[in-house]
Amino acid sequence: MTDTMELEAPARPLGAYTRPKANTGWRDWVTTIDHKKIGILYGAAAMVFFVIGGIEALLIRLQLATPDGTVLGADTYNRVFTMHGVTMVFLVIMPLAAAFANYLLPLQVGARDVAFPRLNALSFWIFLAGALFLNMSWILGDAPDGGWFAYAPNTGVVFSPGKGMDFYAIGLQITGIASLVSAMNLIVTVLNMRAPGMTLFKMPVFTWMILVVQFLLLFAIPVITVALFLLMFDRNFGSNFFNPEMGADPLLWQHLFWIFGHPEVYILILPSFGIISEVIPTFSRKPLFGYPFMVFSGIAIGFMGWGVWAHHMFVSGIGPISVAAFSVSTMFIAVPTGVKILNWLATMWGGRVRFNTPMLFASGVVSMFTIGGLSGVTHSLAPADTQQTDTYYIVAHFHYVIFGGALLGIFAGFYFWWPKVFGHLLSDKLGKWNFWLMLVGFNMTFGPMHILGLQGMSRRIDSYSPGFGFEFWNMFATIGAFIIALGVLAFIVNVVMSARRARHEPPVGPDPWDARSLEWFTPNPTPVHNFDDDIQVEALDEFWHRKYGEDQNGQVVRVASAEEVCQDGSATDTHLPSPSYWPVVLAAGLPFVGLGLMYTLWLCVPGAVLILMAIYGWSFEPVDDPDGPHGHHNDHGSDEPADDGASGTTPAEEAPVV
Amino acid sequence: MKRPYPGWLAALASGAVLTLSGCASDAPLDTLEPQGPISRSIDSLSDPIFLVAGIVFVVIFGATAVIWWKFRDDHSTDEFPEQVHGNFRAEVGWTVGPAVIMAVIAVFTLISHFDLNSSDRTDIQVAVDGTTTSWDPEIVVVGQQWWWEFRYYFDGLDGVDLSDSRNLPPADIVTANQMVIPTGSEIGLSITSRDVIHSFWIPALNGKRDAVPRRVSPWKIEADVPGVYFGQCTEFCGLSHSRMRMQTVAMEPADFQAWVESQMGPAVAPKGVAAQRGQEVFEGQCARCHVVNGVNDATSSGADLVANAAPNLTHLMSRTTYAGGIFNLYEPNGTLNRPQLEAWLRNAPAEKPAYAEGRRGMPAMGLSEGQIDDVVAYLQTLGEAPAFDIIAATEVE
Amino acid sequence: MSDTAAVSHGHGTGTGLSNNKLLMWVFLGSECLLFGGLISTYLIYRGRFGDGPAPGDIFDIPFTSVSSFVLLMSSLTMVLALAALQRGDIRNNRVWLLTTALLGSLFIGGQVYEFTTFVREGLGYTTSPFSSAFFTLTGFHGVHVSLGIIMLMSLLISSLRGTLTKERSETVEIVGLYWHFVDVVWIFIFTVIYLVPSPTS
Repeated sequence: MTDTMELEAPARPLGAYTRPKANTGWRDWVTTIDHKKIGILYGAAAMVFFVIGGIEALLIRLQLATPDGTVLGADTYNRVFTMHGVTMVFLVIMPLAAAFANYLLPLQVGARDVAFPRLNALSFWIFLAGALFLNMSWILGDAPDGGWFAYAPNTGVVFSPGKGMDFYAIGLQITGIASLVSAMNLIVTVLNMRAPGMTLFKMPVFTWMILVVQFLLLFAIPVITVALFLLMFDRNFGSNFFNPEMGADPLLWQHLFWIFGHPEVYILILPSFGIISEVIPTFSRKPLFGYPFMVFSGIAIGFMGWGVWAHHMFVSGIGPISVAAFSVSTMFIAVPTGVKILNWLATMWGGRVRFNTPMLFASGVVSMFTIGGLSGVTHSLAPADTQQTDTYYIVAHFHYVIFGGALLGIFAGFYFWWPKVFGHLLSDKLGKWNFWLMLVGFNMTFGPMHILGLQGMSRRIDSYSPGFGFEFWNMFATIGAFIIALGVLAFIVNVVMSARRARHEPPVGPDPWDARSLEWFTPNPTPVHNFDDDIQVEALDEFWHRKYGEDQNGQVVRVASAEEVCQDGSATDTHLPSPSYWPVVLAAGLPFVGLGLMYTLWLCVPGAVLILMAIYGWSFEPVDDPDGPHGHHNDHGSDEPADDGASGTTPAEEAPVV
Repeated sequence: MKRPYPGWLAALASGAVLTLSGCASDAPLDTLEPQGPISRSIDSLSDPIFLVAGIVFVVIFGATAVIWWKFRDDHSTDEFPEQVHGNFRAEVGWTVGPAVIMAVIAVFTLISHFDLNSSDRTDIQVAVDGTTTSWDPEIVVVGQQWWWEFRYYFDGLDGVDLSDSRNLPPADIVTANQMVIPTGSEIGLSITSRDVIHSFWIPALNGKRDAVPRRVSPWKIEADVPGVYFGQCTEFCGLSHSRMRMQTVAMEPADFQAWVESQMGPAVAPKGVAAQRGQEVFEGQCARCHVVNGVNDATSSGADLVANAAPNLTHLMSRTTYAGGIFNLYEPNGTLNRPQLEAWLRNAPAEKPAYAEGRRGMPAMGLSEGQIDDVVAYLQTLGEAPAFDIIAATEVE
Repeated sequence: MSDTAAVSHGHGTGTGLSNNKLLMWVFLGSECLLFGGLISTYLIYRGRFGDGPAPGDIFDIPFTSVSSFVLLMSSLTMVLALAALQRGDIRNNRVWLLTTALLGSLFIGGQVYEFTTFVREGLGYTTSPFSSAFFTLTGFHGVHVSLGIIMLMSLLISSLRGTLTKERSETVEIVGLYWHFVDVVWIFIFTVIYLVPSPTS
C-alpha cells in the first residue's frame, strides 16, 4: 500500500519510468495487461513446459522399457521423475487451466477484463519466473531428486545434500505466489464484474468450475507455502521441523503436503470438467443436463476435497481410526464425481451429437476419467490400498485422472476455443489424428500399468530385475508413450498448418460451433476491447437463446443468425488499461532472490533492487496513461476493471504483493 | 465414418489382461496371489470391488457406445433434438444410488480394515540357550538406506525401547534382508526406520506399511506354506530405492527352531590362515561399521554411517542375498558366488549406487586383491549355508 | 472509490463491495490457512523440546499479556483513524494512524525483546522442534505486523502530502481490515501459545 502518492503530478516521475507505449512486437507481449494476451502467454509457456515434461516422460519410459535399464542411471532417473511430476502438475496443467481461465473468464461473465489487469500480468510473469527457476536446476546440474511429493526427511540436507530440493522449495513458492495472486484476482472478477443480469446461476459451468478452483487455490496454496517455508528453513537455517533426530515427526510434512495436495488434484481436474461441460452441450445440441446439479457437484467436490487428504497416507502408520475415517470419506467423494459423469452422458443421450475434434476429446474425458475414477474407488478401500499404494497401479490411476481427465479436456478446449482466440479453426482432420493417436497411445501406456501395479511393480524405481513379470508390459507402455508423443506432434503440426492455411482463407466468422455462452458474442478473434456493449443477460446460455426460440410445438427454431447476434467489434472508443513494465520487472527479481538464498546472499541484491524498483514504479504509475493512445476518461464502462476506476479518484493500488 | 469406440475396446482388452495377470506364475510380487490368510482377506475384499468397478465400467462404456451409434449426427435433418434440461428424479437416483453402493462397500471395508489392524498372535516355543521359551512372535523390522534389518527379541518386545532406532537394544538375532518366519502363525512386525521413510511389503503375505523414523508401526504377516516370498521397498527412499529388496523365508515350525538355534551363537574363530588374516582385515576395516558377534559386538558403538548401523555379519553365510537383497551369495549350484562378492568388496558403489561419501552405503574400501581374498575366506566362516532348496528359491536375477 | 464510480454508472458490483476491498477480504481468507498451518505445526511440536527449554519454563506471560494488550489497543486506534477520516477530520486521522503505527512498533519491540531474552536463556531457533515452531509462528506474525506498520506509514505520508482525503477513506478501511486481521490472529496465537497451559520440563 505504498501507492498513496499524488497522481495529478505528471505520470513519469523519472525518465526510466516512462510507461510502455508499444502495442506491437515483443514489447507488447512483455508489457501487456490484456487478459487475452496473458491467457495466450500462459498457454504458450505451458505448452513449452509440456514438451519438456513430455521429454522427461519419454526418458522415464526409455529407462524402464527393459529390465536393468541404463539409459539414465539411478541418480538422473530420480531427478527426471521428480521434475516430470513437478513440471506436469505445476508448470503444465495448472498454467494451462490458467490460460483458459484468463482468456475466457472475463468473456464468459461479460467483463472488459479481469478486476486487476496488472496483477494478472504479474501472476503470469511470476509463474514464468518460478518455472524457469525450477528448470534452471537442470542447467546448474542439480535438479530436485526427492520426488514431487518431497517426503521428509529424504529431502533434508543430510539425505539430499545438493541444491535440488532448494530449487524445489523456492521454485514452488514462487509459482505459488503466482497462483495465489491469480486466484484472488479471478475470484474478485467473477464475484464483482458479471454482466448485468448474470446471476451466479446463470454463469456457464466453466466459469463455475474455475471459481471453485480459485477458492481451492486460495486456501490450498498457503498450506503448501507453510510446508515449503518449513522445508526451506530446515535446509537453510537448521530448524527442526522435519528432522527426526531432533524429535520431529516426518509425517507433519505429509499432512501439510497432502492437505494442499489433495485439493490440488481437484485444482487440476475441475477446469477440464468445466471445459467439457461447455463442449458437450454445444456438440450435442442440447442444454447441459442438470445444470444445478453440475454446479453443486462441483462445489461438493471442492468441499469434500478437503476431507480426504490422508488417503495418501493409508500405510504411513497414522493409526487405524484415522485411516478408517479417511477411507470412508474418500469413498463418498465418488458420489459427486459420478453425478458429473452421468450428467454428461445424459446430455449426450438423445442429442444429435457432432463428433468434431473438441467433442472427441470431451467424450474421451468422460470415458477415460471414468476408468481413473473407478480405480480410485478401488484404493479408497484402505485394506486394498495397502497392496496398491506406491505401485504402478497408482501411477495408472492418476494418469487416467490427470492425463485422461485433465489434459484431454484441455485439448478439447484448444480445439473448441481456437477460433475464438486466433480467428481460425484447427484442422479437424489433423485433430482426429491428434485425438486417436493420443487416446491409443495413452491407453497403451497407462492401461498396462494397472497390471504392472497389481503384479507388484513399485513406483519410482529406476530399474527392475528380470523375473518379476514386468518386461512385456513395460516395453508395451514405452511404445505407447511414443505414440502419445506422435499425438502431441500432430497437435503441433496442426497448429502450424492451420495458421498457414488461415492466411489464404476467409476468416472463420462468428460462432463456428453454434455455441451457447457469452464469449461468442464477440467476433473471432476477440477484439482487444472485448465487448462493444454490455450484454444484458437473461438466461443461462444467453448467446444460444438469442439465436433460437421455440415455436408453438416446442420445436427449436432459429430466430436470429449468428451474424445478427454477434457484436462486430467496431467499438473503437472503448477505454483500455495501459500496458506496464512493472509486473515483469517485479517477477524478474524473484529468481535472483531465490538464487541468492541458495548460493550467495549477494545475489539477493539485484533481486531486491528489481523488486523495489518495480513496486516503486508500479505505485507511481497510473493505471491509465493520461497521454496514452487508447481512450478517454469519460468512457469508463461500468464493467471497467477496478484499477481503472482507481485512477479516477483514487490511486490506491491493489494488494501490494509483498 | 462409423467406427466402434476404440477406447472402449482398449479398455475391454486391458480388463481381460487384468484377469490374466492374476494367473501369472512368474511374478513373485503379484498382489493377486495371496499366500497367507491376511493377504487373502485383502484379496477377498478387493476382488468384488474390481467386479463392481467392472460393471460400472461396462455400463458407462456401453452408454458411450450407444451414444456413438445412435445419437451421432447423421446430417439427415436440421431439427434440434428435444431440449431436455434435466430430470430431478434421475439426479436424485444417481446421487443416492452410488451413495448406497458406497455405503455397503464401506461396511465391508471397515470390517476388513479393523481386522487387518488387529493382532491375534499365539506364542511359539523356541529354544534359546538350550531352554525352551514361549515367544510372542514379533519381529522388529528396521529400514535403512538401502537394506532391511530384522531383529528377534525372544523375551518379547515389552520393555524393549525402540524409540531410538539408531541405538536399539541388543537382540537375540540380528539379520538382514531375509526375514525367517515359521509357517501357520501370525507374526507381528514392529516397523521403524533409521533414516528416511521406507515401506515394508511382502505382497504375497500382506499389504505394505511404511517404516518411519522415530515411529514404530505395528503390522503383521502370515504364510500358509513354506516358501520364499519376495518384497520390495515401496516408499521412495533416495538413490537406490529400487535396489532395496527383501525376502521372507517361511519354514515349517521345526525348521524354524533349527534356524533359530543356528543363529544364536557368536561367530566361531576361523581356522585357516587366510581366514585369520581376513579377520584381521575385518577388525581393521570392516568393523568400523559391521558387527560380528564374538568379535566386535562388545566394543562397537555403532557404525560410522549416518544411520549408525550396517548389516550384522555374524551368520552371513546363512543368508543367500546381500546388499539389499540384490546379489546372490551363492551360485545356483550352491557354491559361493565369488566374483560378485569380490567385486562388492573391491568397489561397492560401482555395484550399487550409494552416497558413500555422505556416509550412506558401503564405500570402496581400497583393499588389495590379497586382502579381498582373505576377507572372502573369513566371511565364508561366518555361519552355515542354508539348505539347497532355499538357495534355489531365493535366487535373484 | 470504485463503489462510487460503479454506482454513478448505474449498477454496483456483484457483491456490493468494491474490488479492492473484496480483494483484501479474499486475501485474508487465504491468510487464515497460512496461520492455520503454522499454528497447527506449533501445537504438534510444543511438547517436543528435547533437551532445550520447555515452553512452560520460558514464557513470561505477564510481559506478553501487556504487549498483546498494546496490539489490541492499536485496533481501537485504527478504528478511530478510519472514523476520523470518514468525518473528514484529517488531523485526527493522522494522529490515530500514527498512534496505531507506534503501538504496532511497540508490540514488535516487545517481540524483539522476548526473542533476545529467549535466545539468552538457551532457546535458539535450532534448539528443538518446539523452538523452531515457536519462532517461525511468532516470526511470521511479526512480519505481518511490520508490513502493516509500513502500510500505515505510507498512509500517513500520503496524508501529509494531502492526498488522503475523505473520498479515499476506503483505502484506510482496507488497511484497517488487514490490521484487525493481524490482531485477531494474534489473539489466537496468544491463546494457543501462552494461555493454554504449556508443557514444562
